[in-house]
Parts: sequence; structure tokens; C-alpha cells
Amino acid sequence: MKNTKKTALDRKLDKIRVAEESGKLGTKLTNRTLRKLTSNKLAVFGAILFVVICVLCFGAPLFTRYSPTEFSLTEIQAKPSLAHIFGTDQMGRDIWSRMLYGGRISIIVGLGSALGAALLGVTLGMYVGYLGGWVDKILMKLADIFMSIPQMVMIIIIVALVGQSLQNLIIIFILTGWPSMYRMARSKVLSLREEEFVQSLRAFGISRTKIAFKHMLPNALGPIVVNITLSTAMFILQEASLSVLNYGVPMELATWGNIISVITNSGTIRFDWLDKWWMWLPCSIMLILFVLSINFIGDGMRDASDPTQIG
Amino acid sequence: MLNFTLRKLIGMIPMLIIITFLIYWGIELMPGDVIDFLIPMDQLAEMSAEEIAAFKAAKGLDGPMIVRYLSWLKDVCTGNLGFSLQNNMPVSELMMQKLPATIELSLAALIISTVLGILLGVVSALKKGKIADNVLTVAGMIGVAIPQFLFGIFCIILFCLQLNWFPVGQRGDGGLLSELHHLFLPAFVLGISQTAGVMRYSRSSMLDSMNRDYVKTARAKGLPEWKVNMYHGFRVACTPVMVLIGFRLPTLISGAIVIENIFQWPGVGRWFTDAIKTQNTPIIMSVGLFMVLMVLLSSLLVDVLTAVLDPRVKLS
Repeated sequence: MKNTKKTALDRKLDKIRVAEESGKLGTKLTNRTLRKLTSNKLAVFGAILFVVICVLCFGAPLFTRYSPTEFSLTEIQAKPSLAHIFGTDQMGRDIWSRMLYGGRISIIVGLGSALGAALLGVTLGMYVGYLGGWVDKILMKLADIFMSIPQMVMIIIIVALVGQSLQNLIIIFILTGWPSMYRMARSKVLSLREEEFVQSLRAFGISRTKIAFKHMLPNALGPIVVNITLSTAMFILQEASLSVLNYGVPMELATWGNIISVITNSGTIRFDWLDKWWMWLPCSIMLILFVLSINFIGDGMRDASDPTQIG
Repeated sequence: MLNFTLRKLIGMIPMLIIITFLIYWGIELMPGDVIDFLIPMDQLAEMSAEEIAAFKAAKGLDGPMIVRYLSWLKDVCTGNLGFSLQNNMPVSELMMQKLPATIELSLAALIISTVLGILLGVVSALKKGKIADNVLTVAGMIGVAIPQFLFGIFCIILFCLQLNWFPVGQRGDGGLLSELHHLFLPAFVLGISQTAGVMRYSRSSMLDSMNRDYVKTARAKGLPEWKVNMYHGFRVACTPVMVLIGFRLPTLISGAIVIENIFQWPGVGRWFTDAIKTQNTPIIMSVGLFMVLMVLLSSLLVDVLTAVLDPRVKLS
């Protein structure tokens, strides 16, 4: 970025560097990364949005008056009112509380699957990628096979196979998500393996496991964390798409996908319900805002963990 | 290069056999018996065990799974994709009906997302840090955050129900104008939802190539700025973008599953989800084979294309 014009963010990063060099700020890498992150307006906005939605969902009993499963046949598809701020659904359940309680499950599905996929993919990639040999060859071939089957197709086949449930969906997401994590971690390890610090650790006789997880993993953490955030967003969107196709979490369980998909009937739109906007629109907006917040954070982290982006 | 291509093509065969075997096995393990979907419940209750066995034998549903898989494999090698269990129509004939609809939709979407994505990405890179760049970046992120089906629903509400510009769903009835009229909205939705990724990618690869020495040399030679951007910056930035598009070819078909459902588009995606619901093995296998083949072929295409476009890359 030498001869391109400096952007507002570049100027801020310059300021951070000047402050660091004059000794006003600590120079630890984590400090710097955090400071770069907080100087990125979009990332801060995303973080605030993320925290707000998480607090609303996980503290749902504090913000709602109704149980998400309590139905009342006298108030079916009621319009938004003071009693029900976003109205009620086709079974008279309060939509606002369904949105918050459903958010819990959607967030758990997204975050849990992304963490699970990362745990599996990165552990295998870090260790097996470092050791090489026939296990690495087999896993690489396996990752190739998994990536050759279009993800949506594989998910639909596996859902049809093992049946629809929350745990199954998370397991399926982990199964379809690990190959990309594995490949990423492996390619990172292959380049780190040749670094001098790894060579000298080897010379000192430190065990391979320790080198892989204690010394190489922290160096690969940046892209891994970015990948986790971005796959969280992807899994939340996929959960919603699967609900529309009737392959998601069982309908009785409120999730964002299940709430939104009332507007569709096995894939096609239910036109007679389109004017009952409160049944699907508020929840759609919440889902979009949440995914957006994760993308903002992930993008900010990508920039912050990129050492070429300072000064 | 020919050598490389041939070797890759031969390497695909074991891969295809393993994957199709896994899919076949998967269908086999699905809960429920196929027969429940083929014969109405009340008739099934009246049938004796022998009648059911005879029915299964006639449909080729008896015998161990591995034998059936091998006979399926043999049939496919001779160009016979089997017959739909539901109505006994040859799968290849049904495929010929469904495939054009999906290809038409996917191709239109691919063109929209490529042209728009590259254009906006280049503009964004050239205006780095200015308002246009920031607006496009944020718009791209919002675009990625909206689920495809919701975007489709929003568009249907706005353009079909409110403005009445386009018909809702279905394919046109033969005439070119009617075809285009029906095609536009689903292709637009599918294309736009994939534009953000292309835009982001072409922005970063354009920025990358604009910092290279040969671009500086070109500028130092005194070439006009647009020539520097187009001939030296953009041409090199194209390679990674082409690679991305190559990798997208297969996802366009599976990515169309949701849009095909929302717009009631009579394509492969809808046909496939319906087939899974009724455990129609010949259809699932044929579509699966076709999709996997697309993935493998496009990754080969990407390898070859990179070598052609970028003289620094050597195939091995």
C-alpha cells in the first residue's frame, strides 16, 4: 500500500503506530490487534449489535412476557399490539418471545457447528498436516471427496438419512464444515513447518504434539478465528434455507429459520400470508442483522490480524 | 497440458465410484421402505408378502445393496440412467426436460454475477477508501447477510405483486420474449446474491495487481491512467477472478435448489428434492452423479485455465 492514497483507517493505524513508538501504549501483539479492531467503526458496530442480540436471546425470560410454546386459540395471527409487540402466529404464540427463544437455538447451531468444525478440522490439520505421511494423504482425499459433493445436496441427503433433530443438524454442519478448516490449517502448517523457530524447537527435542499445538497453533490463529466467525454466519443462513425446504430443525422447535419459513409451504411461497408481515418480517430482519454483525466482526478481525495492514 | 488433463480425467474415475457408492449407501440407509412411496397405503395393506416381493423384483429393488449398486454402475457405463420408480419414465428423458431449465437459470445468474461483480469490484478498488468503495463494501456485506430465499420473496412482493412487472414463477411458454420475461427475476435474484463474493474477490485481486511493479512501470512510461488500469491492472487481476468463477460453476446448480423452489422453477433442483422425499433412487443417483461430475470437471477446468491465463503457473 505504499503509493496508494491513505484511507481514514490507514491514518488511524498510523496514529496507533506513532503512539506505540513513543512509548504511550504497550506493544504486545494482542494489544495492537485489539486496538486495530476497535478503530474499525464497522467492527465496533458489529460487536455492539452482536452483544445486544445475544443478550436479548440468552436473557429471553427478562424481555418477554410469554412462553414461546404457550398457544392461545383466541388470539390466532393477531396483529402487533401492546400485548404482543410483534403479534402472534398461526397458533397464537407470541412472536417476539419465539424470536428471542428461537435465536438461542439458531445462535447455538451456528456457533456450535462452526466451533465443532474448527475443532475437528484444525486439530487434524495442525497435527496430521505437520506429521504428513499416509494419514495425511487419506484425510486430504477425504476432504476432497467431502468438498466434491455440493454442500446443500450432502446436507439434504444426510438429513433424510439420520432424521431431523437439533443435534443431527449440528453434527451434519460439522461434517460438511471440517474439510475447509482442515485444508486451511494444513496449508498454514506446511508453511510454518519450514520456519526457523520450528526447526530449532525440533533440534531441542521438543515433542511434535507440543510444537504443533503450543507453538504453531498460535501463529495460525488469526485466519482460524476469521474462518470461525464467517462460518457461523454461513451456518445460520443454511439453517434458515433448510427450514424453507423442510429439512431443518423440526418445526415444533422455534428457530429463526422455522419462524421465517411459515411464509413458505414446502418451498413455495404462501401468498395468502404475505400481508401478515409480522409473522415473518421482524424475525427476518433480526436474522439479517445478526448475520451482518458477525460479518462485520469477522471482516474487522481479518484486517486486524493482518500484519501487513499497519503503517 | 494434454498429459496433465488425461491423468486428471483418469484420476476422477475412482473418485466418482467412491462418491456415488457413498450416495447409494446413504439412500439405502434412509428410514422407511421405498415401497411405501410407490403403492398407496390401502393397496399395500391388502398385498401379500409374495406380491410385494414380486413387485420389488420387477422394479429391481431386491437383492443385496452391493449387487444393485454394481448393476446401476454397469447401466450408467452403458449410458442407461435407469427409470424413475414413480412413473417408469426413463431418467435420461426426464433429465433432458429439467436440465435446460436449470442451465438457463444458472447461466443467466452466472453472467449477471460475473459482469456486475467484476465491474463493481474494479470500481471499488480504483476508488479505494472513498465513499463509493465504502458504500459498495457495506452493500456487499448486507447482500451476503440476506438469505437467498428471503431476497427472492422480497423481490416477488415488490416486482410481481406490487409493481406487476413480472409473472410469479414458472417457466415461459416457448416464445423468446415470454421465456426472458419469466427468467429475469429468478436469474436476477440468484445472480445478485452471488455478486457480493465476486465483487469482494475482484476488488482484492485488483488492489493486489495495482501495487505490482509492472503497473508502476506502465504508469512511469506515461500511459494514460485508464490504459494502465485496464491493460495492466485488470488483465492480471482477472486470473483469480476466473478461478473463483470456475469454482462457482457447480454451486450454481446446487445453489439453485432454494431459488427453484421459491420461484416454482421446473429445474433439476426441485426435481431432486422431490426425489429424495420419495426415495427415488435412480433420480437421486443420476442428479448426484451429474453434480459431482460438474464439480470435478470444473476444478480441472480451473487448473487448466489458470495455466493458460498465467504463464507463471506450471501444471504438474
